[in-house]
Amino acid sequence: MVATTLPETSDAQSHWDALAAKARWQNRAKNISLFAFLIAVSVPIIVPYFWLVTLAFSASLGGTDTEVLWASIFILVPALIVLWAWAAIANSRQNAVIGCGVISIATAVIYAILIGDKLHLNGFRFLVDPNFNTQNESIVGAQNNPGFSVATFPSVWRAAGNSLFVAGAQTLIVTMVGSLAGYYISRFKFPLRASMLRSMLVLHAFPTMTLIVPLFVVLWFIGLLDSLWGVMFVLVGIELPFAVFIMKGFFDAVPWEVEMSALADGATRRQAFVKVVLPQVTNGMIAVAVFSFIRGWEEYIFMLTFLIKNSNWTMSLYLFFITEENSLGIDFGLVSAVSVFYVIPSLVLYTVAQKYLLQMSVAGVKG
Amino acid sequence: MARIEFRHIEKRFGDVMVIPDMNIDIPDGEFVALLGPSGCGKSTSLFMLAGVYLPTGGELLFDGHRVNEVEARDRNVGIVFQAYALYPHMTVRENIMFPLRFKKVPPDEARARVLEAAELVQVSELMDRRPSQLSGGQQQRVALARALVKQPQLLLLDEPLSNLDATLRLTMRSEIKSLQRRLGVTTILVTHDQIEATTMADRVICMNKGEIEQIGSPDDLYLRPNTLFVAGFIGSPPINLVDGQAENGHLRAGEGTFDVTGSLPRRVTVGLRAEHMRFGDAGMPGRVRQVEPMGRETLYEVDTDIGTIRVLEAGSTAAHRIDGQVKIAFDRGDTLIFDSDTGRLVPDAHFAANGSA
Ligand SMILES: Nc1ncnc2c1ncn2[C@@H]1O[C@H](COP(=O)(O)OP(=O)(O)OP(=O)(O)O)[C@@H](O)[C@H]1O
Ligand SMILES: [Mg+2]
Repeated sequence: MVATTLPETSDAQSHWDALAAKARWQNRAKNISLFAFLIAVSVPIIVPYFWLVTLAFSASLGGTDTEVLWASIFILVPALIVLWAWAAIANSRQNAVIGCGVISIATAVIYAILIGDKLHLNGFRFLVDPNFNTQNESIVGAQNNPGFSVATFPSVWRAAGNSLFVAGAQTLIVTMVGSLAGYYISRFKFPLRASMLRSMLVLHAFPTMTLIVPLFVVLWFIGLLDSLWGVMFVLVGIELPFAVFIMKGFFDAVPWEVEMSALADGATRRQAFVKVVLPQVTNGMIAVAVFSFIRGWEEYIFMLTFLIKNSNWTMSLYLFFITEENSLGIDFGLVSAVSVFYVIPSLVLYTVAQKYLLQMSVAGVKG
Repeated sequence: MARIEFRHIEKRFGDVMVIPDMNIDIPDGEFVALLGPSGCGKSTSLFMLAGVYLPTGGELLFDGHRVNEVEARDRNVGIVFQAYALYPHMTVRENIMFPLRFKKVPPDEARARVLEAAELVQVSELMDRRPSQLSGGQQQRVALARALVKQPQLLLLDEPLSNLDATLRLTMRSEIKSLQRRLGVTTILVTHDQIEATTMADRVICMNKGEIEQIGSPDDLYLRPNTLFVAGFIGSPPINLVDGQAENGHLRAGEGTFDVTGSLPRRVTVGLRAEHMRFGDAGMPGRVRQVEPMGRETLYEVDTDIGTIRVLEAGSTAAHRIDGQVKIAFDRGDTLIFDSDTGRLVPDAHFAANGSA
């Protein structure tokens, strides 16, 4: 064989180099446009939250100034863009990390110099001062709204405690009962099994608002109206079917044989369940727990309808009444600060449990 | 160690009859293979022995004692499942240790036994890994160690080699066999691979659709199959089966007529093993249709008067070409004649002469 059509070596080399360079640039262009797209899409979602946070730390009483918001946006958005661009262009991992660090520090310094003195924690006074509302009343409420009776607010910690109790107890029950029932449905045949599964999905699709009046009557009858336990049980009832359904999906993914193997290895049925099956569905249990907790923490309608005494207020009611109270005389700083305080647990939970929540969408599909 | 008996064991799932009537007697220390096609009830039989399934009828005896209702955990049976069923959230060490957690074994002794079992199947270097970090063969060994660590009186292996590659399968085959010899534990191996069954076991139980077709040594099943099913299932390449009719003392198959000794039912099936066929100067004429070199042997497909016949000849180079004219001969003693309607062997019927038309 004779080599006739091959170009000379150096030529060929530069040819391949050019192709490689082209591929690199195409990749970068792709990354940059992807980031640009993500930024554009996330702006409408992020800006309101961003505003909430800036207001919580900067609003002054009675005013709705947007100065800090705009300043923050003008500093942070370009900084973010530079950050992303650098991450896309940097030619080594080390360079990327160093560059990003430098940009972040520079941004923080500029931010502190330009806006630092406008930031304050006044909005968060409700955390420590039980009489925070009198300040509000004397300055705005009393002037603009003579004769308007200001509700007495319980301590915010009490409200947070109530929320924690309702969400926590609900989570505990839903996760435990959901796991046991999910296991039973996954493993055993019994009459009406299929229709039971179907009805569970239908139940979840049912708009809960339609249940408010009957639930009110039921709670009143059994004496659990205006009781945290009452709301908690209602939430359990609403959340449980879906939890059972999700957990069934996770149990379905655990092979029969593993369980049989545990039995043959000398475990009782209960030991096999606890030591071999449960550890394989912990991800599912975490996912279900996180969702029920957040559901309970964020629940508002049932709380508003079934809870009356202010010592029974949950965080959602607390925020509601703060907003209500301030709808005429406005303390945006306070409202935003309460909102931020209210949102933080959900945010933290979501961030920590992300991994498990993603798995839920996978395992849940198997039905 | 235990002697195992199935007495009229029946198993049904709801309306589905899986095993109608099963009778087996396995002496202490024997290595038995349960052989049959997919879905014939092999795993179901094993699970009844392990105590995971309850028989719906009959008696299951260990050493002469009825154990039908005895719980799985009290039977001291070691089992390796089809998919190994290791505990994914535990390390290899914890997996092997698991059965000992339920026996009152002192911790020191337990650790020693785990090590011993791990060394027996050569997984001592993998003790801190999780099952997902092991290859199929390693998982299989760990499952074996877990089954052996409790010193079971009965060892059950459900297609333990089906997920391994050909070489590893060969190694594990001989390892399991010698392990069983050494420990002397009564062992039941489930498989749908006839070579696995015949090479490893002392005795083979051939099953079909929940019924036992034949129990015997590997030789018995190969040379003296009781039924058409066994004849067709055992042997590779598969046996030649030729349909024929009895006609006043003769046997007609296709265009050919044969003299037969013994009395025949009306419709028969003749079984001729490919490796018993040979090419010769005299015999059944035919034309070669297909030649398949198989290493040390060559497989021919030959069109004859009685249909297409497979012939296996020693030698890697083909002595005959496609479309070549050949004559096929065989010994009369190697012919098997079955009743087509019942599928059973007609024991005293043979060809009257060595193979010729
Ligand atoms: N839990 C069950 N419910 C209903 N039918 C079952 C159940 N388990 C097994 N069967 C049926 O019993 C028959 C035998 O199943 P088994 O698992 O014993 O087959 P097998 O011989 O082990 O097959 P394979 O080689 O594929 O593992 C099959 O037809 C199967 O459909
Ligand atoms: Mg099986």
